[in-house]
Amino acid sequence: MGLAKFWQRHGLAYLFVAPALLGMVLVHYGPMLQGIYMGFLDLKLSTLRLYLSAPFVGLANYREILFDPQSTFRTGFLYAVRTTLLYALVVNALTLSLGLLFAHVLNRPLLLRGLWRTLFLLPWVVPSYVVGLLWGFMWLKNGVINTLLVDVLHLLPEKPHWLIGPLTFFAIVLPTVWRSWPFVMVTYLAALQTIPQELYEAAKVDGATPWQRFRHITWPLLRPVTAILLLYGLLGTLYSFNIVYMMFGHGAGYPGEWGDLLMTNLFRNTFGMWNFGLGAAASTLYMLLTLLLILFWYRVFREDLKAR
Amino acid sequence: MREERWLAWGAWGVLVLGLAGQLFPILWMVNTSLMTQLEAATGSLFPKVPQWGNYLEIWRALPFFQYLKNSLLVCGLTTLFALGVATLAGYALARFRFPGAELFGGSVLLTQVIPGILFLIPIYIMYIAFQNWAREAWGLEVRLVGSYSGLVLTYTAFFVPMSIWILRGFFASIPKELEEAALVDGATPFQAFHRVILPLALPGIAATAVYIFLTAWDELLFAQILTTEATATIPVGIRNFVGNFQNRYDLVMAAATVATLPVLFLFFLVQRWLIQGLTAGAVKG
Repeated sequence: MGLAKFWQRHGLAYLFVAPALLGMVLVHYGPMLQGIYMGFLDLKLSTLRLYLSAPFVGLANYREILFDPQSTFRTGFLYAVRTTLLYALVVNALTLSLGLLFAHVLNRPLLLRGLWRTLFLLPWVVPSYVVGLLWGFMWLKNGVINTLLVDVLHLLPEKPHWLIGPLTFFAIVLPTVWRSWPFVMVTYLAALQTIPQELYEAAKVDGATPWQRFRHITWPLLRPVTAILLLYGLLGTLYSFNIVYMMFGHGAGYPGEWGDLLMTNLFRNTFGMWNFGLGAAASTLYMLLTLLLILFWYRVFREDLKAR
Repeated sequence: MREERWLAWGAWGVLVLGLAGQLFPILWMVNTSLMTQLEAATGSLFPKVPQWGNYLEIWRALPFFQYLKNSLLVCGLTTLFALGVATLAGYALARFRFPGAELFGGSVLLTQVIPGILFLIPIYIMYIAFQNWAREAWGLEVRLVGSYSGLVLTYTAFFVPMSIWILRGFFASIPKELEEAALVDGATPFQAFHRVILPLALPGIAATAVYIFLTAWDELLFAQILTTEATATIPVGIRNFVGNFQNRYDLVMAAATVATLPVLFLFFLVQRWLIQGLTAGAVKG
C-alpha cells in the first residue's frame, strides 16, 4: 500500500489521536523516562542546578533503598510500602463489600430510591483534601468522634489519641472508605439492574435459597464490574495522597509509621529533604510493584474481561 | 413471608444507619464552620450562636476570592481542553481500525500506573528549562511555572487518558449504522462524526466533563509545586492557611464548606447524567 493510500485510509484516525498522544508523551512518558533516569543520579539540593549532568551513581540509590540497614530513607520507605499495601487491601475489601451490600438494599422496591442514592453519594463529591481536613479535625483528642464515643455514648473509658501510633491506620482507612464506597454502590446498583429477573424466577422455582441465588447468579454476573472497580480502587489507594497529606500535623508533619502512605512519604523526602535521586529511584521501584499487582489482577480477571 | 418481612426491616435499619454515617461528617463540617474559635477547639457539639461572620471572615483573612477564581479558571479550561482532546481520541479508538490502535489504547491505560511524584519533578524542571530556552533562543517571555498555562497544560494531559477510556465506551455503544448511513448520503467521515455522532454522544460527553471538573478541583500535589501565591488554587490556599493559622478550625471548616459548594452544586445539576454516564462505562465496558 502506498503512503498516500495509507494516509487516505488512516489519516483521520491518526489526526484524532495525535493531540492525546502528544500530551501523553509530553506530560506522562517523557517526564517518566527522565524520572527513571534521575533514579541513577546523585541528585540532591547541591547538585540540582546541574540536573541531568549530576553525578551518575548507577544502582547506588537502589542499593540504599533495598539493602542499606543504616539508611533512614529505607526505614521510612519500607514502613510506607507496608502501610500502603495494607491500606489498599483493607480499603478495597471494605468499599467493595459495603458497596455490594448497599446496592442490594437499594435494589429492593423502595420509596424515593433516587433520593437515597443521591444522599449516599454526597461524600464522593466532597473533595478529598476537604475529607482529609475534616476527618483530621474530627479525630482530634478533643474532637467530635471522641466526644461522641466517650462523653455521649460512654463506649470507651477515656479519649484515645487517634492520630498517634497504630490507631492512625484506622484513622486513614475510615475516611477513605467513607468517601469511596458510595460510588461502588452506585456502579453495582446499575449492574444489578441489568441482570434479567427471569434468572431469579427460574432459580426460585428450582428452590434456590437467597444465598444460593446470590452465589450462583448475581456474583458471577457481577465479576466483570468487580474487576473494573477493583482496578480503579487499587490505583486510587496505591497512589493516595490528599487525605493523609491534609490530615496530619496540618499537612506538614510526619503521620507516623502507621499513617504514612508512599506518596506522602516520597513527597516529604523529595521536596522536603531535596533528595530527588533517591525519591526517583523509590518511585520507580514502587511503579514496578504496582505493575506487578496489576498483572496479578489481570491474571485473576482475564476471563471475565474477555467475556464482556 | 416472615423471612421477607425481616429482610425489609433489616434493609431499612441498614439504610438509615448507613445514611447517618455518610451525612454526619458533612453536617459536622457545616456545623463547625458556624462555631466560635473556642467552641471549635474544645469539641463542643453545637454552636451556641451561629457565627455567620466566619463566612465573611474567610474572604478577608485570606485571598479566598483569588483562590476561587484560580480554581474556576484552571478547572474550567482544563475541562474544555481535555474534553476536546479525549473526545477525538476516544472516538478514534471506538471506531477506526488503524495500525497501532492497540498500542495506543494500552499506553493510555499505562499512564495510570505511573506515580505522579515520579514525573512531577521532571515536569517542573522541564518547564523551567523551556522558559529559559524560549528567552535565550527566541527572546520570548514564556511562563509555565507559576502561571495558569503551565497548570492547565499539565492537568489537560493528566485527565485525558481516563476521559478517553470513558468516552470510548460511549462511542462504542452508538450503532455503527448511523455513520454508515451518513456516508452513503455523501457526508465525509469528519462530517459524520460531528453532525451525527457528536450530538448523540452529548450526555456521555457532559458526564465526562463533570468528571474531569470534579477531579481537577481535587488536585493538590501538582498545584502545590506548579503555582505561586497569585495562581494558587483552593486546595493549595487552604493548605497554606491551615499551616499558618493552626487553631482556626472554625475558619478552615468555613473555607472547606465553600470549596465543596461549587462541585456539590454541579453534581446536583447533572447527577442523573453523571451517574448514568460513569456507571454505563463500567457496566458495559
